[in-house]
Amino acid sequence: MKSKLFFLLLAVMSLTLIIACSEEVEEAAPQVEVTKDSHDDDDDHDHDEHKDHSTLEEVLERGVLKCGVNDNLTGFGVVTSAGTFEGFDIDYCKAVAAAILGDASKVEYVPLTASARFEALSSEEIDLLIRNTTWTASRDRDLGNDFTATTFYDGQGMMVYADSGYKTIEDMAGATICVLQGTTTELNLDDRFKSAGLDYTPLTFETNDPLQAAFEERRCDGWTTDKSGLASKRAEFPAAAGGPEALVVLAETLSKEPLGPLTRDNDSEFYDVVQWVVFGLIQAEESGITSSNVAAMAADPKDPGMARLLGVPYGDGKVADFSFGVDPTFIQHAIKAVGNYGEIYERHLTPLGLTRAGSLNAMWTEGGLIYAPPFR
Amino acid sequence: MSIFIAKLSTWSRSQKNRNLFYQLVFLILVAFFVNYLVSKAMQLELTLSHFESRSGFGISHTFIKDYTSNDSRWSAYFTGVINTVRVSLVAIILATLLGTIMGVARLSKNVLFSTIAYLYVELVRNTPLLIQIIFWQIIFLKLPRITEALTFGSTVVVSNRGILLPYAKPAEDINSNIFVIVLLFIIIISFVLSYYLNKKEDIDGKKFKILNYNINGSLAGTFVFLILSVSAYFILQKPFVLDLPSLYQNSKGTYLQSGGFEFTPEFGAILFALVIYTGTFITEIVRGSIQSLSKGQTEAAQSLGLTNYQSMTLIILPQALRSIIPPLTNQFLNLTKNSSLSVVIAYPELFMVSRTIMNNSGRALPVFFLILFTYLSLSLIISLFMNFINRRVTRIGA
Ligand SMILES: N[C@@H](CCC(=O)N[C@@H](CS)C(=O)NCC(=O)O)C(=O)O
Repeated sequence: MKSKLFFLLLAVMSLTLIIACSEEVEEAAPQVEVTKDSHDDDDDHDHDEHKDHSTLEEVLERGVLKCGVNDNLTGFGVVTSAGTFEGFDIDYCKAVAAAILGDASKVEYVPLTASARFEALSSEEIDLLIRNTTWTASRDRDLGNDFTATTFYDGQGMMVYADSGYKTIEDMAGATICVLQGTTTELNLDDRFKSAGLDYTPLTFETNDPLQAAFEERRCDGWTTDKSGLASKRAEFPAAAGGPEALVVLAETLSKEPLGPLTRDNDSEFYDVVQWVVFGLIQAEESGITSSNVAAMAADPKDPGMARLLGVPYGDGKVADFSFGVDPTFIQHAIKAVGNYGEIYERHLTPLGLTRAGSLNAMWTEGGLIYAPPFR
Repeated sequence: MSIFIAKLSTWSRSQKNRNLFYQLVFLILVAFFVNYLVSKAMQLELTLSHFESRSGFGISHTFIKDYTSNDSRWSAYFTGVINTVRVSLVAIILATLLGTIMGVARLSKNVLFSTIAYLYVELVRNTPLLIQIIFWQIIFLKLPRITEALTFGSTVVVSNRGILLPYAKPAEDINSNIFVIVLLFIIIISFVLSYYLNKKEDIDGKKFKILNYNINGSLAGTFVFLILSVSAYFILQKPFVLDLPSLYQNSKGTYLQSGGFEFTPEFGAILFALVIYTGTFITEIVRGSIQSLSKGQTEAAQSLGLTNYQSMTLIILPQALRSIIPPLTNQFLNLTKNSSLSVVIAYPELFMVSRTIMNNSGRALPVFFLILFTYLSLSLIISLFMNFINRRVTRIGA
């Protein structure tokens, strides 16, 4: 018995070594050849595996897009009573699935907490992260991911009970503040209070439900997160705890929170598709293309630019090559599935009371920041 | 060549030589294997250099050690470690007490006691710990809000921000540290003294006497402790002063409570959950160990005229202890590891703080190694301590 076990161990170990050695040879090879990937400087061993295959190919092969989302934030990402996902971020998952696979329903939603989301992306549990995630320098640099574009310009706010009498952050010396772990808001909160020389106690939760329970019992004086998130949580605040009227969001915006989709580092094919789907939906709004008129527009594009966007010939001409490794009509599919930027906003964020006109999220032509680089 | 083979075959005929050969091969393979693992590990940036960086986030519970967001990530991490140790240590002590009482109650002839203990075990053991933690969080949140906080004079403040109790705090000057050290010495001296006197009494078979008064070792130890510590306190000019809790409103109308010893809802919830949950397993261990003793022990104790309490504390439990300690060690280890679940209710222990650092720095793997290493170290310390106790217990029994 003992000796059998011993030989088994021996066999396993030698096998590991053999595999290990052959792996080493494989690894060495690309260094001899001229690398095909320009990002291939070897400082980033953590993400070595990602270089060999593109997520785009994988999604095409699999036929399903794995999208990391929020499941608890009405307006952005939430599970409905019917068990389906819905929201602003969810629509972007659908748009990308429609663009790549031609079918907006080919999405597998993976609900993630704020603190688990980056690991989920870098460990390839998901292909794409769209979970009200803020673009920051350190996240771009250290977390092994790339931000594609901004879909919503947000800022951090502070929500308090109306009867507390708080009007500004300066009133909140000594207050206890509820905040979510692993968010930018946890760090901005500290910056803001520290620079004002105010004492405070952060109560840091991993998920939203226990946080809300604590806030409802007034364990904390303030609740801080993105203003869009606060609007959503305020709108749903249970009547038993006073309803939305019991709460006010202070006027001050504590930070810049540009939210948008993320892909893994060094995954440029997939990154490009996601980025241009975002831009495409913005351009669609600018050009007046909606989910209801997209078919008509595709049949008879008004100008060569619109033809390029929709991947159709202009007049009797040829189709411009704009495929990004997917079907040239990918933007058309995306618009059909979810509509243009304005339609998505109207559907999910307007009901939360997030007025678009005059905000950063208005079209650039109307003084906002929503702007797409040219489609050519 | 043929000579060599012949030699080899004679050499290999001996079982001992063959074993030697296998062991050598095995050793070489192990060396290669370790080398491979190490070289792989070296490629994954395993450094923790980013722990020197400013942490940038606040921590709600700090104990013993001060911490602000201006300190390093190391400092944040150690604050988390202290929080883990703190809750685990208190929970281990309380769970052991609870488990012992319930274990004895479980076997009590009193139907009420044994039923209570039975229900306790069956109800609590069969629900997930995570749910119990959230349950206790909700219970603690139901304490009065701070605007309606209960105060008992200026001694106790009770609200769902925390329960504040009077506490001793170091006075402004430097003497407090010296006092703590002196106090430790005094405790050791008193223990040694009472141990020595008790031993002497056992050996001599007669009471130790001063001026015709019987002096019991434990009594003498307590007496010496009191005299020495009180004098040290005054000689060092009252190094600790009473810290009374208070409840007040600042100029902006924010209610604040401060001072004293703070028992927060988060600490309370994780503590209660760990104690009550682990207590069920300890109950079963205690019950099993007592039942495994022969009935003759109880009968003999009773026939000696010992009361139930005496026979339990003097005869049964000391013997049961021998089979209690090894499984008890396991429960202590489980408890410590389970404390990482407090991440859901905002108690900033080691795992939670480390996750925040991981999120801010991105270098997940080295941080995970650090977390594993820390839990491993804590477990080893508990195991070593319990082994030490176990050795003492088995020796006394023998
Ligand atoms: N944008 C910030 C904050 C993201 C965040 O956690 N948002 C909150 C609300 S805006 C949330 O997702 N809450 C729901 C939940 O975690 O269950 C970031 O990227 O760190």
